Amino acid sequence: MTGLSTPAPARTTAGRGPGATGRGRRRGGPYRWSARAFSLPAILFVAVLLYLPFLWTAAISFTEYDGLGSPEWVGWANYTEMFADPNFTTSMRNTLMWVVGTITVPVGLGLLIAVLTHDMRFGAWFRLPFLLTYAVSPVAVGVVWTFVLQNGGGLSQALDGLGLPGADSRWLLDEPLNTLMMIGAWAWQQTGVNALLFVIGLQSIPKEPLEAARLDGASGWRMFRHMLWPMLRPLTTVVVGLALVASLKTFDIVMAMTEGGPGRNSETLALTMYREAFVSSAYGAGSAVALFLTVVTLVAAITYLRRQLSTKHEI
Amino acid sequence: MSRVLRPLFLGLLGLVWLAPLYLLLVNASKPMAGYVSDEVWKPLADFALFDNLADAWERAGLGDAVVSTTIYSVLGPAVAVLVGAALGFAIVALRLRHGFFWFVLVFGGTVFPLQMIVLPLFVGYAEVGLYDSRLGMILVYVAISVPFSALVMRNFLGGIAHQVFEAAVVDGASTWRIFWRIYLPMSASALVAVFILQATFVWNDLLLGLTLSQSDEVRPLMTALTGMQSTYGGSQLPTVLAGGLLVSVPTVVLFLSTQRFFTRGLNLGQF
Repeated sequence: MTGLSTPAPARTTAGRGPGATGRGRRRGGPYRWSARAFSLPAILFVAVLLYLPFLWTAAISFTEYDGLGSPEWVGWANYTEMFADPNFTTSMRNTLMWVVGTITVPVGLGLLIAVLTHDMRFGAWFRLPFLLTYAVSPVAVGVVWTFVLQNGGGLSQALDGLGLPGADSRWLLDEPLNTLMMIGAWAWQQTGVNALLFVIGLQSIPKEPLEAARLDGASGWRMFRHMLWPMLRPLTTVVVGLALVASLKTFDIVMAMTEGGPGRNSETLALTMYREAFVSSAYGAGSAVALFLTVVTLVAAITYLRRQLSTKHEI
Repeated sequence: MSRVLRPLFLGLLGLVWLAPLYLLLVNASKPMAGYVSDEVWKPLADFALFDNLADAWERAGLGDAVVSTTIYSVLGPAVAVLVGAALGFAIVALRLRHGFFWFVLVFGGTVFPLQMIVLPLFVGYAEVGLYDSRLGMILVYVAISVPFSALVMRNFLGGIAHQVFEAAVVDGASTWRIFWRIYLPMSASALVAVFILQATFVWNDLLLGLTLSQSDEVRPLMTALTGMQSTYGGSQLPTVLAGGLLVSVPTVVLFLSTQRFFTRGLNLGQF
């Protein structure tokens, strides 16, 4: 305690007895009412607009409900139907493709670009194209790539012009090609931010051990494998973790490019939920997909973090 | 990699990355009359970008959506940073009882996918008359921005010595005054950083717009753009592309102008 703090209670509680101060302190300090008032807005917003809806969705997933009349309790029926639905299987497969694609392609390319540019002259200029596309909104990315990937569109014309095969591919119509192409479009958007994060990581690595390794003759791949990669490990954990969670919830880009089609062959779980709830008005079924998605996201995030934390000391 | 190969590889990859942007710019600038989609790589003959932008703005209704979304992405995050900072202030300076529990509760709001809340919001909004209203959109944008802003603001305000608070109390300042005149100004940089990140998030939102709004006046920008994407085709493609360009300009400008600020911030921050 400094000299400044001691007179504080005396002045603020002037006129009140020492007993008042004592009672206040026991119940959480002299500012308990202001503290409650200041914290109330945040708690209200989150409780009313996030937690309450969350509980509603969880409950509705055990009912049959179309928004009219009242929900009818059906137990696990929505879940058993969901797992028996071939469209759901397709949606799971596509989501899995998104997860694998997102944590490999944009993260890997970002790492490659960061490693190649971080100690290079004009490195920032070589990174600029990737950062530029990162700033493009996901829906606008969808607009651009829908245009590029139309039948006979930009990509097909380029392949044709270069004399390469594949110009007559139906990029966004055939499965699983459409999902792969959309993952490519997403990588086009995401690579830049991963490169940026890895550059920051590389620049904060202490210079001395790198110099020592260089004097010992390490360079190129060996330098990366034995020096940079282990030192980047904590950052890689974060970057991959963020990509993992985000990819499970993939929605915007698919909605903007194929709306999950043609038919339902490029749907992700997030789109399946939207379609069930808002297109088919099957609120119970949509809620079941939402809850399933939430559980998968949580389990994936927790499993991933635990594995990363338990292997951390081995490096 | 050798001195020549490395820049060559990066340069080529960069060109591949820029190619779709070239297609966007060139084809968004071609006149709609006589537009053919089988020569997309061909450079411009006539420059009609502004006609196409005007067409997207007026006929496709992007203009209304730009106004709405600007309101949402300024007001929503602005309220959210203040609300988040108030929670941080209550926990850090006013020593809110069970402060850590309340903090975890608020921050836990980021855990669920939005899919988990849109349906009840749709139903509930319809019941209380907030469906398809700007107020309803702002409220939900505040709510989804609060958890992250609480996280950053609690950490940031935690770095301010408690003596600052005690000294202000000695000087007779009320808690409100201490918050408004001392703690908020001291955390200006964190407030701005959170605001920019959340404003970008709200600007890019698609799902909440799709599910909670309908009319041209309320519908946010990304929702309007996907609507345009599915109704326009063929010779109207330049308009759609002009729309895509229009919505991206603010985020690109904002990101490139604040990039340095964030690289520094991230460097010192949680990573």
